[in-house]
Amino acid sequence: MTVVSAFLIPGSPLPFVQRDNPAWGAIADALDVAGKALSASQPDVIIVYSTQWIAVLDQLWQTKPHLKDIHVDENWHEYGDLPFDIRIDTDLADAAVKATNKAGIKSKGVNYDKFPIDTGSIIAANFLNAEGKTPFVITANNVYHDWKMTETLGKIAVEEAAKQNKKVAVVGVGGLSGSIFRQVIDIAEDKIASEDEDQWNRKILSLIEKGDVETLLSECPAYAGEARVDMGFKHMAFILGAIGGDYASATVHAYGPLYGSGGAVVEFHLN
Amino acid sequence: MSKGEIIAGFLAPHPPHLVYGENPAQNEAKSKGGWEQLRWAYERARVSLEELKPDVLLVHSPHWITQQGHHFLGVKHLSGKSVDPIFPNLFRYNFELEVDIELAEACCANGAEMGLTTKMMRNPNFRVDYGTITTLHMIRPEWDIPVVGISANNSPYYLTTEEGLEEMDILGKATRKAIEDSGRRAVLLASNTLCHYHFSEEPVPPEDMAQEHPQNYEGYLWDMRMIDLLRQGKTSEVFALLPQFINEAFAEVKSGAFTWMFSGMDYPELAGELHGYGTVIGTGNAVMEWNLIKAGIAKAA
Repeated sequence: MTVVSAFLIPGSPLPFVQRDNPAWGAIADALDVAGKALSASQPDVIIVYSTQWIAVLDQLWQTKPHLKDIHVDENWHEYGDLPFDIRIDTDLADAAVKATNKAGIKSKGVNYDKFPIDTGSIIAANFLNAEGKTPFVITANNVYHDWKMTETLGKIAVEEAAKQNKKVAVVGVGGLSGSIFRQVIDIAEDKIASEDEDQWNRKILSLIEKGDVETLLSECPAYAGEARVDMGFKHMAFILGAIGGDYASATVHAYGPLYGSGGAVVEFHLN
Repeated sequence: MSKGEIIAGFLAPHPPHLVYGENPAQNEAKSKGGWEQLRWAYERARVSLEELKPDVLLVHSPHWITQQGHHFLGVKHLSGKSVDPIFPNLFRYNFELEVDIELAEACCANGAEMGLTTKMMRNPNFRVDYGTITTLHMIRPEWDIPVVGISANNSPYYLTTEEGLEEMDILGKATRKAIEDSGRRAVLLASNTLCHYHFSEEPVPPEDMAQEHPQNYEGYLWDMRMIDLLRQGKTSEVFALLPQFINEAFAEVKSGAFTWMFSGMDYPELAGELHGYGTVIGTGNAVMEWNLIKAGIAKAA
């Protein structure tokens, strides 16, 4: 089996930079749990799709072997820095570029000093691979790609890993409902900004937990539209594509607000 | 202290291709040129800016996107290498800039007083976005005038276009009051493209101008209609059409800089000077100037 573990996590920096806030601390704790589960699955590579790495031309794949720097989130800069130290499996990333191009999805690698690494990828690396033992493949969210094309990306990335006899952990980085508090709030009183969106999140997480993929897929378009879901929930499409479209069940380690928007840490139990 | 003034506003778009085409020492990527009509438009704008002798340049950039409030650069000296996340092959620019902290704080405070959520950005490790840097380089490559950098709050996308642009209108008024109280002679830079339909593939090489043309004919027609109105000084008509223009031409002015700038200038019915128009990977870009000194609205130095 190529995919040994799979996770859905939020890309917000708030649990990392302010984990002493109870609402965000619960998500940080859950991310630690997910990190341990990922480590226990002993992957050779972690494949990350992050909604916050925006592409508009080609599908981009990180191909710089070592990324080490400090990032400051453009919105949450007052909470401090996001240091990162990420190693990339360039063999697999290069293979993914070639294979996606062959499949008709124009792709290219990016290998540039000071290329802006997105907050979501950094959060994934810092929580799920805190000791930096496992290399990553990180790919972007092309805003013009739909659900099906995003599924295909996940599928191809895992197929290429299989050709290299590598075990894979798959991570979809992105949020749930998207309404936020646009004014400054007391962060200790953070909550999901919209009751309707809260209900939507809970309904979708329940379907995810049960592994009811058929119903989940039928509900996703309405969920994406009515709950302003982060990038149409394409991070879920990437995960489903990567794990073959099906799984046994899932555990929601945490669900909560991130300045009004929804975030969840989900571990998928694979068939 | 004499009363400060906004002495000019420029529509000053930020395609990184323009820096790439110019080959300044600060940019690692090198080209054989390209996009000359727009680069030469900026050369004309640079001459005009030199004559204006402003104390400060204020730039509102759609590539510093903030969800919670309108943010202002608040670190005195910022430097680093800015790499465009979309066109890293073209734009890897080593920058240094000085921020007019006092004016930025005044804009921030005035915005808050007028009901906006505003924030100062105080983190010295902050990476300045490529839109801000491209606009500033193209209008003043000497980097010798202090800057106020303003984020693009996502309100026109999160709320309705009209609600979002109402916020930008307030931001413009807050900016104007801060400038007046500061005694500064200020130039506003709206870092916006017009029609934003673009090609999905880059030519090889990127500066192959045989491949450069409007991506969308309807969008091009919209650009010409709006530029024509702006050249005639029909500002109120432009703003009446703005939501339709944004919707039908996918215009980047939706992000707010254009409205912020005109609000700051109090929407003068003043003929804008078109320094040039051109496309970049199919998008429509105009470099335009509204010189309030020449119009007798602001005083010469």
